Amino acid sequence: MTVSASVADAFGLRLTFVLFLSVVVVTLFTALLTAPQRDEIGEFYLGNRDMSPLRNGLAMCGDYLSAATLLGSTGLVALTGYDGLLYLCGTVVAWMMVLLLVAEPLRNSGRFTLGDTLARRLPGRQRPVRLALAVCTLTVCALYLVAQLVGSIALLTQFVGEPGPTTRTMTVIIIGSIVTIYAAIGGMPGATFIQVVKAVMLVAGVTLVAVMVLNRFDWNVDALLSSATAGSGLGDAYLEPGLRYGAGPISKLDFLSLQLAIVLGLAALPHVMMRLLAPRRTRVLRTSVVWAVGLVGFVCLMAAVLGLGATAVVGRETIEGIDHKGDAAVLLLAGELGGEVLTAIVSALAFVTLLAVAAGLTLAAASSLAHDLYGEVVRKGKAKETEELGVARIAALFMGVLGMLFALLAWGTNTATLAFLAFAIAASAILPTIVYSLFWRGFTARGALLSLYGGLLASVLLVLFSPVVSSTPNSIYPDADFAWFPLQNPGIVSIPAGFLLGWLGSLLGPPQEETVYEDFEVRALIGADQR
Amino acid sequence: MVSDSTARYGSSVPHQPPSEQRGDPFSPAPAPRGPAAGRQSIHAHPEFRSVSAAYRRFGTWATVLSVGAFLSYVVLSSFAPGVMNQRLAGHLTLGLALALAQFAVIGMTAWLYVRHMRKNVDPVVRRLRAQVEDHEGEQRRLPAGRRLRAW
Repeated sequence: MTVSASVADAFGLRLTFVLFLSVVVVTLFTALLTAPQRDEIGEFYLGNRDMSPLRNGLAMCGDYLSAATLLGSTGLVALTGYDGLLYLCGTVVAWMMVLLLVAEPLRNSGRFTLGDTLARRLPGRQRPVRLALAVCTLTVCALYLVAQLVGSIALLTQFVGEPGPTTRTMTVIIIGSIVTIYAAIGGMPGATFIQVVKAVMLVAGVTLVAVMVLNRFDWNVDALLSSATAGSGLGDAYLEPGLRYGAGPISKLDFLSLQLAIVLGLAALPHVMMRLLAPRRTRVLRTSVVWAVGLVGFVCLMAAVLGLGATAVVGRETIEGIDHKGDAAVLLLAGELGGEVLTAIVSALAFVTLLAVAAGLTLAAASSLAHDLYGEVVRKGKAKETEELGVARIAALFMGVLGMLFALLAWGTNTATLAFLAFAIAASAILPTIVYSLFWRGFTARGALLSLYGGLLASVLLVLFSPVVSSTPNSIYPDADFAWFPLQNPGIVSIPAGFLLGWLGSLLGPPQEETVYEDFEVRALIGADQR
Repeated sequence: MVSDSTARYGSSVPHQPPSEQRGDPFSPAPAPRGPAAGRQSIHAHPEFRSVSAAYRRFGTWATVLSVGAFLSYVVLSSFAPGVMNQRLAGHLTLGLALALAQFAVIGMTAWLYVRHMRKNVDPVVRRLRAQVEDHEGEQRRLPAGRRLRAW
């Protein structure tokens, strides 16, 4: 499509810019004000540990819901109806694993990073394990960070059409620099502030638009569904499964594989896990996660209304005409319902969302680099706190620059592909290690190393030899064909592989000392409210 | 920290004999020395065993049921669309109703989990934690060195 097909005109673009800039200025100032004043490493990693459960829950929700949910999932609902709704359900179900199994024992036994938990569980060979974990964490964070930055280019495309190389570079550099400043200077307190601001804006924004949609249909959901069916031009098939992932058994299996990675991967995403370690009291953590579940569930329900509303009000053909993935659905809907002002608000919201998630990721990667890699592997725990803090800030800078470089190199990549790969790696490399170390007495360092490296390699290799990279017109190399793995999402193979490798390695390796696990088990359940 | 540990032994933990005691009365072997000693004697404590089992059982079952419910919903939608497309009322099909039911399952599970933890786990954990802290308080009076930076 041409430039004229974009969703906003000059006024709308300017308004978006002003709104976005004011949020950025306010949050940047706050990040500077709340930055860790004393050179305490704990404050940089964990931030304020005495926040109320609601604020913690908002921050978790903010870390989790990216622009992909706001634009991508609603677009998926708008274009594919039933399959999109199914996808939204998975986004919420993912929190069950966190709430029920991982959150409390992880916080009780942890300190700053997941590496600390593993070091307590596998003290004999903590350095190689920390190294392996850091490699996995960095891969996941880098992939997800690049997805966010590439997403900013995709978002800009909605306004000005296909951006030229200069605009593209400028966007990535500006967004990337803001993200780096949040993470490097503000540390966790700054990141938390922007997460809370973003989550409040997100909840308020989607509620506002959803209320307008429902109001238009006199609060009659059936009328909304029938208008959406009519607007889709597909008849009843719109509200039946199979539009997106129904092409054949391979495609159906692919969808299951994707859902598996999403539902299990969340509990192992580094930036979400870092939030779990922050609350000082177990009770506060539990209530926080319940808040997060509620907020995420609410936003996803509203997103479903937005997606259906977009098809009902704007029509499927128009949405698909502007962006074949449907990312423009919410923006078009906002334009139809509330004119330029609402479009500007929603697009500013999308940019802030993207920024906040990127900041959380940069910080998680920096913590892992500074604490696990530098503090414990390189300096063997002898680094002073001020030294480690300096390294953490430099690491954040490094991650930011790395993310920008990759985003500029890979700007044409599908953001969903990158994000789904990150989820698959988290679920198949990091999750087995967490679950085994929390709940299985026989888990050993060799099992941890095998499942971390093995899960990582399995997911990356499977994607490399999948249709994502070669053999189809949408692949990165459409002309080559080395795709012997038929699925785009490796989860259904790589997650069992990760668990299997962890189990095998533990059987083969030298056994752990019994007392270590007993001590760990007591700590994970009883913990102690940390001082 | 608590310096007068005998007072707390007497008041908050009724089954603990007030005499000078290193480990726990239920511990099978003489308690090992070192900062982990308190925790290891707790590990053999029958109350700890039962609360740990209760925590795991609930967590595992609740996760398997809620995640399993969702995954079977995905499988049903993919491979049995005929069943999912039955109309219930208006445009609401069985599949859409099940999607809403997922949210209900999530809410229900979260509520049951919080209730289970409050009723069955938290009180016992609090009691055991007081015991560990008492024990560590006792140890701390010995020259413990840099215990906090032990790892």
